[in-house]
Amino acid sequence: MRLSFYPGCSLEGMANDYARSIDAVFKDLGIELVEIKDWSCCGSTAAHSLNQAMSAVLPARNLAAAEKMGLDLVSPCAMCFNRLRFSQNMIKKKVFDIPWPVTGNIRVHDMTRFLAEPPMIKLIKERILKPLNRLRVVCYYGCQMVRPPKITGYTDYENPQTIDRIVAATGAKVIDWSYKATCCGASIGVARKEIGESLTRRILQKARQTGAEAIVVSCPLCQSNLDMIQKDRSKRHTPVFYFTEFLRLSFEEHGDPKWFKMHFTDPVPLLKTKGLLS
Amino acid sequence: MQNVISDPDQAHEHDSGEERKLIGDRGYYFLNRMQGETGVNISACYQCERCTNACPVSHFMDIKPHQTIRYVQLGWREDLLKSSTIWICLSCEMCSTYCPNEVDVAEIINHLRNMAAHSSITPKERSLAVFHQTFLEVLQKSGRVNEFRLMNAYYSKPGILKERVKQGILVEDLLLGMTLLRKGRLKLFTPKSRAIKEIKKVYSQKRGEIV
Ligand code: SF4
Ligand code: SF4
Repeated sequence: MRLSFYPGCSLEGMANDYARSIDAVFKDLGIELVEIKDWSCCGSTAAHSLNQAMSAVLPARNLAAAEKMGLDLVSPCAMCFNRLRFSQNMIKKKVFDIPWPVTGNIRVHDMTRFLAEPPMIKLIKERILKPLNRLRVVCYYGCQMVRPPKITGYTDYENPQTIDRIVAATGAKVIDWSYKATCCGASIGVARKEIGESLTRRILQKARQTGAEAIVVSCPLCQSNLDMIQKDRSKRHTPVFYFTEFLRLSFEEHGDPKWFKMHFTDPVPLLKTKGLLS
Repeated sequence: MQNVISDPDQAHEHDSGEERKLIGDRGYYFLNRMQGETGVNISACYQCERCTNACPVSHFMDIKPHQTIRYVQLGWREDLLKSSTIWICLSCEMCSTYCPNEVDVAEIINHLRNMAAHSSITPKERSLAVFHQTFLEVLQKSGRVNEFRLMNAYYSKPGILKERVKQGILVEDLLLGMTLLRKGRLKLFTPKSRAIKEIKKVYSQKRGEIV
């Protein structure tokens, strides 16, 4: 199976560990990801905030490139996924001029939903060498991947299940909770720290109250926000994993502590006590 | 017992002490314009406040999401463009998702934010507006956004550094930056996309430049 892959800017910088774990996991699953040549930024929040036309045009360039390859597109970043889908809608409505030849007819998957399809879950289960069955986690989705449902196509947007299913397949115990799709504040923390922190702290606190030992996410910005707020290293640690890091850990007999060196809250001690890392 | 709400003008805290605004015919005009441009049926709102109750940051806003919709109906354009609401909104889409009348509140707020960006009104939340603008500038320069370049560009914007010093978070920022560098999360150099030229061209077209 081949898919075109749109990594997005975060995966080159802050979420480089996410990118590496995706590489490893898809190699293990035998799915080829073809990176879109010369991709460009999707515009993120800034484009739709200040210049709506650009927010439809910018992702279209990448959609055009994927169409040229004739491959469905998969995006690991929640924001990119949302913007690509939005642009696709706009292309079909023909409200903005798109300077590239593009029809908007390919399928845009978000990575979690793609891997949560029953055949994929089966494939994942076959690859697992080391079940993570002593870990108790909560899964966190954030906003852009699930909302607005009109664009993302999620029908269970109040209680999304994609990451839950994937993580459950690795054997870990997934705890149900109510803050799955509550906003983490996104980039507001850069300019208005107190707002960002108030949102992130609440999510973290609720996650801890469920008794979870870790949080599993799929969005680079959610990961940074939830991870970096714990930088004071006081009292409790709740590591924040990408779901692909989880998969990678279960796919390989011997994990490597180096995989997690970009994390602020070091997950290695937790994994060691659970006997998942040596 | 004295009736607490004896004076109707005092009934709403928001109105008290302020000059009463007249509705005028602009209401109709502005409402139609907004409905046309966003494709949202703003008239359908019956002020149930579900949007505001769903909003995670409504307590930081001066005009709450449901009030925003009412203001649009009344044509109070300047008040909206001057509000902190349009900049505080996270575009998290909670409001739009839960509105019983399918009023796309997030889209309305986003549209107002676009309007404000193209108006002469100084944004109330300047640092947030500047951050968005910086992001787009970096995007135009390299086709992709590198966090290191973004933060550098943001700090060199007038007034931002001073504001951080005043808030006393500069040292914290620097330490965070160093930790990020050490952990390899901030990359000093990442490849640029060859899309820059094409993107610049579209941008100038959007600004109405023909050649
Ligand atoms: S939820 Fe909808 S109907 Fe209710 S106040 Fe908000 S916009 Fe109006
Ligand atoms: S989109 Fe904006 S107004 Fe709506 S709930 Fe989110 S932050 Fe509040």
